Amino acid sequence: MEVKDLKLLIKMITETDITEFEMDNSDEKIVIKRNQKMEYVQVAAPTVAYTTAPQMAVPAAAAPVAASAPAAVVETGETINSPIVGTFYRAPAPDAAPYVEVGQIVEKGQVLCIVEAMKLMNEIEAECRCKIVKICKENAQPVEFGDPLFVMEKL
Amino acid sequence: MLVLHTHNSMYPYSSLFFNPKPENNFSMGYQMHQKAGTILRLFREQDGFVSGEKISRSLNVTRTAVWKHISALRDAGYVIEATPSRGYRLVASPDILNIEELASQLHTSSIGRRLVCLSETVTTNADSFRLAEDGAVEGTVVIADAQSSGKGRLGRAWTSPPGVNLYCSVVLRPSIKPYEAPQLTFLSAVAVARAIELITNLKPEIKWPNDVLIQGKKVAGLLNEMSAETDAINFVILGVGVNLNMTFGQFPSDLRHPATSLLLETGQPVGRVRFTATLLNELDRLYTDFRSHGFALVREEWQQRCSANGRHVVVTDCGVEVVSGKYFGIDGDGALLVRRANDKIERILSGDVRVL
Repeated sequence: MEVKDLKLLIKMITETDITEFEMDNSDEKIVIKRNQKMEYVQVAAPTVAYTTAPQMAVPAAAAPVAASAPAAVVETGETINSPIVGTFYRAPAPDAAPYVEVGQIVEKGQVLCIVEAMKLMNEIEAECRCKIVKICKENAQPVEFGDPLFVMEKL
Repeated sequence: MLVLHTHNSMYPYSSLFFNPKPENNFSMGYQMHQKAGTILRLFREQDGFVSGEKISRSLNVTRTAVWKHISALRDAGYVIEATPSRGYRLVASPDILNIEELASQLHTSSIGRRLVCLSETVTTNADSFRLAEDGAVEGTVVIADAQSSGKGRLGRAWTSPPGVNLYCSVVLRPSIKPYEAPQLTFLSAVAVARAIELITNLKPEIKWPNDVLIQGKKVAGLLNEMSAETDAINFVILGVGVNLNMTFGQFPSDLRHPATSLLLETGQPVGRVRFTATLLNELDRLYTDFRSHGFALVREEWQQRCSANGRHVVVTDCGVEVVSGKYFGIDGDGALLVRRANDKIERILSGDVRVL
């Protein structure tokens, strides 16, 4: 399936109440799952689309790949990335409430988390009004420069 | 935020502390205070008596006005002797964080360009962060006599009673990348160590990344904050708390690490204005070099002052041991290098270091 068709398919599905969609044919398997407006698109397909392998053999080979292919998960939406190497903190103190939760709508300039590098605390702020779709790191986990910290949806 | 008023509220500079809120006309107040600062500077430049005539010429005011300024300084706690034939002599200065006196002792190019002194605030870091967001110039310094909620890393409390210590924050706007900003952590630690050494003759040591210790006891707490976009820094706040004249009874009983003050170590009280001026002067020197030559000088001096030189260290993070081995210096980013028994070098970016 071509990318534009896949986009169309996702668009069609998101306009309905369908939360899970699975399509399996001889040379590719597509799984679309929706959760809290989060869209995972899982595509498992032979890398060479025009494979000439016998038709019968392909589904057998594709099925186990699909089952164990989380690498094919695509996060839709924009990410907020870490500007420094450091440690990710979701709250200002261990016993304090997290700055944000999944699904929360945050205003421009609102603090989302802290990334600490050698006693330099870097408060990461929302650059626009947006909805937090996913928190990509665990509290107190190390992060690299440019690592996605949040997936967000601009509002 | 409270603004401290000294006994006489009739005189313009009896209010020695400023409120940084924009509705207060800061520049007006500062002009009036500059006169008092000039008088104090004259006293310092000339040991002994300064003639009323000299003061009136320097201030460009009448002799009567000089007398009024002297009275106001007395009201603020300065002991000034006046002799008709010889003039005025400063006998004693109160240990208050007086903005004009501090200004008169600064020899800086950027640090202290704007000074804000508060009697009490929540934290000076929060104040300077807010000022910086409103566009405060690089070198803006916020100092408080007391903090109601002084903080360390991860929301840990920093005890901040009035009248004894230094709590200050400095706004910097360095033109470096956000990932280079942790280097400033080392810069402020070196500045504090230098200031302690200059004022007391004690030999402070630094523990990675920026704990300043005397005989293994913590004397200063440094916490920096940054506001940055992905590839540019808006500003960095250097937060500095130094225990100057705190006594045993003022330390909380549930301290995580042993702590001390300069008074406890030397038996001598430290003048807060003098210490603050020394610290800001050293910060300015180091920062000026940092801006033109980068991290090299700070890194070298930090390493000389590091308590772990030639020692074995254990690094823990959230109570879990990360690595144990020989201290191997810091790299160009400030990361701690530890050499394991198998000669493998580990690079540490966060954690608590214990020197064995």
